[in-house]
Amino acid sequence: MTPTLIERTSGAGEQTLLTDVLIIGGGVTGAGIMRDLALRGLHTLLIDKHDLCAGASGGNHGLLHSGARYVSNDLHSAIECRIENELLKRLAPQCVEDTGGLFVAVEGDDPAFAEAFPGFCQSAGIFCEEISPAEARRLEPLLSEEIFRAYRVPDATVDPFRLALENVDHARMLTDSIYLPHTEIIRFEIDAGEIRAAICRDNRTLAALRIVAKQYVNAGGAWAMNIARQAGCTDVNLLYSKGTLLISHDRMTHHVINRLRPPGDGDILVPGGTVSVLGTTSVRTDNLETNRPTVAEIDTNVIEGAAMIPALATTRYIRAFSRVRPLLQSSDSGDGREATRGFALLDHTSQGLINFCTITGGKLTTFRLMAEKTSNLVAERLGNTQACTTDSVPLPGSAACRWTEPGAAPRYWYKANNPDDMILCECEMVPQSAIDEIVRCAPGAEADMTLEAIALRSRAGKGPCQGSFCGIRIASYLYDRGYYRDKTGLVHMRDFFNERFKGMRTVIWGQQAAQMELAEALHCGLLGLDNLDNE
Amino acid sequence: MSDTIRPAINFKEKALELLPEGASFESCLTCGLCSSGCPASGIENMDPRKFIRMAMLGMDKELSTTPWVWCCTLCKRCQHVCPMNIDISQLVFFARSNWPQEEKPSGIVRSCQLIRSTDSTSAMGLPPEDFVFVVQDVLEEVRVTQPAFKNLQAPMDKKGAFFFVNQNSREPMNEPDEMVPLWKIFDLVGADWTYSSKGWAAENFCMFSGDEEAWYEVIKKRVEAVKALGCKVWLNTECGHSYYTMWNALHRFGMEADFKLESLITYYARWIREGKLPVNSKWNRHNITFTVQDPCMIVRKAYGESIAEDMRFVVKSLVGEENFIDMQPNRSANYCCGGGGGFLQAGMTEHRRTYGKRKFDQIATTGAAYVLTPCHNCHSQMEDIGHFYGGNYGVVHFWTLICLSLGILGENERTYLGPDLLALID
Amino acid sequence: MREETRKFDTELAVIGSGIAGCAASIFALNRQIDCAQVGNTGAVAYTTGYLDLLGAIEESSAAVAKPWEGLAQLKNLHPDHPLSRIPVTDIRKGFDQFATFLGECGITYTAPRESNITALTPAGTLKKTLCVPATMAAGPEAFADKTPCVIIDFKGLKGFSAREVVANLQDQWPTLLAARIIFPDMDKGEIYPEVMARALEVPATRTRLAELLREAAGEVKVIGLPAVLGMHRPDHVRAELEQLTGLTIFEIPTMPPSVPGIRLREMFEQVFPEKGITLIPQQKVTALSFDTDGALLCLSDNYGPITIQAKAVILATGRFLSGGLEAHITGISESLLDLPVSQPPSRTDWYRDGYTDRRGHPIHKAGIDIDTSYRPLGKNGKPYNEHLFAAGIILAHQDWIRGRSGAGIAIATAYKAVEAAEKFLLAQHA
Repeated sequence: MTPTLIERTSGAGEQTLLTDVLIIGGGVTGAGIMRDLALRGLHTLLIDKHDLCAGASGGNHGLLHSGARYVSNDLHSAIECRIENELLKRLAPQCVEDTGGLFVAVEGDDPAFAEAFPGFCQSAGIFCEEISPAEARRLEPLLSEEIFRAYRVPDATVDPFRLALENVDHARMLTDSIYLPHTEIIRFEIDAGEIRAAICRDNRTLAALRIVAKQYVNAGGAWAMNIARQAGCTDVNLLYSKGTLLISHDRMTHHVINRLRPPGDGDILVPGGTVSVLGTTSVRTDNLETNRPTVAEIDTNVIEGAAMIPALATTRYIRAFSRVRPLLQSSDSGDGREATRGFALLDHTSQGLINFCTITGGKLTTFRLMAEKTSNLVAERLGNTQACTTDSVPLPGSAACRWTEPGAAPRYWYKANNPDDMILCECEMVPQSAIDEIVRCAPGAEADMTLEAIALRSRAGKGPCQGSFCGIRIASYLYDRGYYRDKTGLVHMRDFFNERFKGMRTVIWGQQAAQMELAEALHCGLLGLDNLDNE
Repeated sequence: MSDTIRPAINFKEKALELLPEGASFESCLTCGLCSSGCPASGIENMDPRKFIRMAMLGMDKELSTTPWVWCCTLCKRCQHVCPMNIDISQLVFFARSNWPQEEKPSGIVRSCQLIRSTDSTSAMGLPPEDFVFVVQDVLEEVRVTQPAFKNLQAPMDKKGAFFFVNQNSREPMNEPDEMVPLWKIFDLVGADWTYSSKGWAAENFCMFSGDEEAWYEVIKKRVEAVKALGCKVWLNTECGHSYYTMWNALHRFGMEADFKLESLITYYARWIREGKLPVNSKWNRHNITFTVQDPCMIVRKAYGESIAEDMRFVVKSLVGEENFIDMQPNRSANYCCGGGGGFLQAGMTEHRRTYGKRKFDQIATTGAAYVLTPCHNCHSQMEDIGHFYGGNYGVVHFWTLICLSLGILGENERTYLGPDLLALID
Repeated sequence: MREETRKFDTELAVIGSGIAGCAASIFALNRQIDCAQVGNTGAVAYTTGYLDLLGAIEESSAAVAKPWEGLAQLKNLHPDHPLSRIPVTDIRKGFDQFATFLGECGITYTAPRESNITALTPAGTLKKTLCVPATMAAGPEAFADKTPCVIIDFKGLKGFSAREVVANLQDQWPTLLAARIIFPDMDKGEIYPEVMARALEVPATRTRLAELLREAAGEVKVIGLPAVLGMHRPDHVRAELEQLTGLTIFEIPTMPPSVPGIRLREMFEQVFPEKGITLIPQQKVTALSFDTDGALLCLSDNYGPITIQAKAVILATGRFLSGGLEAHITGISESLLDLPVSQPPSRTDWYRDGYTDRRGHPIHKAGIDIDTSYRPLGKNGKPYNEHLFAAGIILAHQDWIRGRSGAGIAIATAYKAVEAAEKFLLAQHA
């Protein structure tokens, strides 16, 4: 493969970038495609109108499915999950915690379903072992006493942020591929059945950018239908399902805990390093942009979750979030859970385009497979004959991508034992050196980073104070370093707190109400961040 | 540290188990008041907030091995300033207990072993017969050399005495004459008291070593000794942790005790108020200034404000109100001096002095010539940091100053007096 | 071993050790009412030291330049706001007495003026407040005059960057400069304002710091520091440093854990017992009950149980942070007596969508209702008990955060609650 040059011209006041493949959408799938193609020697450009994992990739349980969840209603997906689960555990162990999973039935759940479950698993080839309710409670002391049936399955957890970051980082390393955050598609220039260029906008500077590629990949997730339509393609039809999840202050269990019943609200509790994630609700929505958790959704999750783990009724929650999942339109049932969890790759030849494709649907666990299928099509169209290797080449770990792992930052810090490397985020114990590394060389560091962008690439702001103290400390530190020289830092601080608040708004009760009152007194009462625009 | 494998404690689970609801690590706001107010912050790159967060983040291995747990003096100041009232010291204690015996600071372990080696429960291993001998020997000498006290008593194993008085081993072992002023005070107020040949010692390093079994065993011996003599009040000498180790153990281990625990300070104050100890400050003709150190073990961790008040009442009576300068902060908010928690015995001199800098600054700010404290560990530590940081203050026991004020301080009982005080005695 | 309950008797018991509780104790002292104060001193440790009366009218974005005039505007817009129910003369009296007391105890404040002071914040933003500690007063003055000034920060002190202050104020204050120094003997690792403040109580440390400050100031005559100028005698420490350096020095408050709150807390804990107040710091009242003679407060400290018998009680337990109010998944409750809490209809309404929404969040207006004698109302809409009064930000119908009025509400309502309690006590005696 010949090396690809990137040209920067400033003809009509508009920068032009050249690449082999433009990938639109910085979810795990887009990041996966970027790496897959880079492993085949191709140069790519990945853009996202926000940042990595801003959509469903960053808004899920972080559950690496064994497939058992789908055995009763989607055998195909279940098998895909099983295979990908095994691959990812082997090839990207740094992103995975092999927690194991339990399926538990509590009083009131259908005994017939519980009875049939091992049979379902067997037909999908998924390991499933029945354990006694007592044994389940020994493994997970917080489980309800009302459990009457329990099975072990090879569920695990995966950090989607680290996964995306490392896929991007590997691609950068392999072919100098580029990731551009906050870059949004405005329109496509189409001529004679081909996309000639994608006209984009930098959402922060509002500067226009022209990207010329040989192939264009739409990995927009829930936004894929809209992006396809910008290219004149009407063959992408999605349903949107809004899911709401909660994050507890503590890690409640060692294993992934699934309710042993057909998928419903609040029936999965997944450990995420030092916290647990409870969810989800599922409601149809047409709204892609401003989905936020509602109090009703939170309460539903808590009530349903408490049936499995009674402590979920009283534990301290620090955050909730909603994301929209794209579901492929096949049937039209109520909440979207019945729609297929499979994915679709559309080559758009029927729409008269020969260098554009769309990948959507699917799930976090199968992202690699989705990337493989997409990359196969793209490579073939480019005449690249190299086979996919993401099922055999381990994902290398990168120093700048390691900070999203819960509990990792303090371990590095503690080991280094450097008193001058001060902890800036005290909750998650993120030191100065982590912030330095992230703004210097994490994917996306090509452009100036906001506090939000730093938080996305680390654990900063993820603990009980939800960034209310460390937002101030990190901003101060960056002012110190000359990274901020004007009021930009204040604006970033305010935006960061506002963004964090979105996730807190519906879970502010108990201890979190005290935390919030202190935060607001500090941010608004003292610093006047509620009055920034008036000053 | 060697790499001996030790079971890592699950600190998060332990915290849930040990700490009351609403004051568990889960309720931490991560505001940092604990660390800001802790003299051990920064030592070994640790502080109380980091301890909590590391527990919550599952860094059990690190917390199970950090030597910082021996630099935290378990003084509970972090809890005192915490708006959520979170107690970190319990988990630090637990971490200590988890250390393999051979890796714990040998000074602390050895002291505990010595305590258990005789019926005296003395950290210096002084056997009962030696204690009895020293007391008798000193008493006889006083009777001979100080005619005013030719009938002085130091009862031993006197059944039915009202007070069971304990004794820090330092005196009979190293400076026996320092026992005398207290005997004189008892004599003056007509106290019905006794020493015991068993369980007489005050100190308890088994508690600091995190060895609960040994702690219990020591206290059991002492409780039995009090019971054997049928005393009404176990009267704690001028020693901080000896009170706490007994008082806390009775609750902790649910022990039966039909006697009361009291501190000498309470009684000094009472006797002065009742006129039994007619002290005054007239002797302080040169307005020599004094401050007082509130031992964490009896003030913040036990009695609270009432004993702090008593202590100030006694000091002001002794030296004159105008010659008393309080340290800031004080009482329950006072800083640990850094001598507590076994730190003095832990062999971590540099860390201990770093810790003690805050106390040194506090004392230096008062400008006082002397620090009074009813605690042996405070006493030793404040002397040490005074020398180390170039302070020019002295540290004295209450009993010394009481006898000085009363004009009955014998010549051999003036070890801790500087030239300024000595000059005031005739 | 037997545990004995320690018992105290008092005329007036104040529950809460925040600004409202301490103000109530001060007003009780001034009225010669025998008083006991208990309560966890939670949130006061977080204060900046600034005493706000009214920095903004709630639900509007305009900063209030003249707070006393602002009160009239507040009264029109929010007649049920606690400050709208108090005659301005009483608010003035409360502020005067409170600030005077603090000054007499070693923490001098600027006297309340007609206009708000435009005070500095650690982020280099500006804040309207009524009174500032004397140690901070030169900052707003230098800002107003645009006097050449150097903001100095310290290696190892997190969350306070001189460059940040300068970056955000440079448009309005072009002669502002930044410098960094190493605090004497604190050259390694993280340092806390509290530790620096205590070190500066030692004369030798001041001498050494003064030299560094002179160097950092260069030709400039005014310098600003994070709030570290002593803990126990801040006025003295500042005066000494000014004398040693020949400079004008001011403090800027820092983010928690910060010095000004600890200063206040330790001062109160020192002074109150000296003045005869029975103070049981750092302990929460666990039960409060009433009989015909008065109230019985139950609590315990490390040593054991304590009871306080009082003829009148002022409830000044604060909000969520201090534990006076509790937010549950099902609603907001008052934690000690389960008093009715005026609150939004459902949790959905507690917070607006935008965190920094200038209109504030409805949850902050939740609180307890009182009658004209500052007696909290019970479930039947009548006073809960004739011995019980309430003060501070636990009261409903105010948003102290958006209104920049926390101290104002605390002090003014404490003044009125003590006044009402005194009236009640006198009637009892008669």
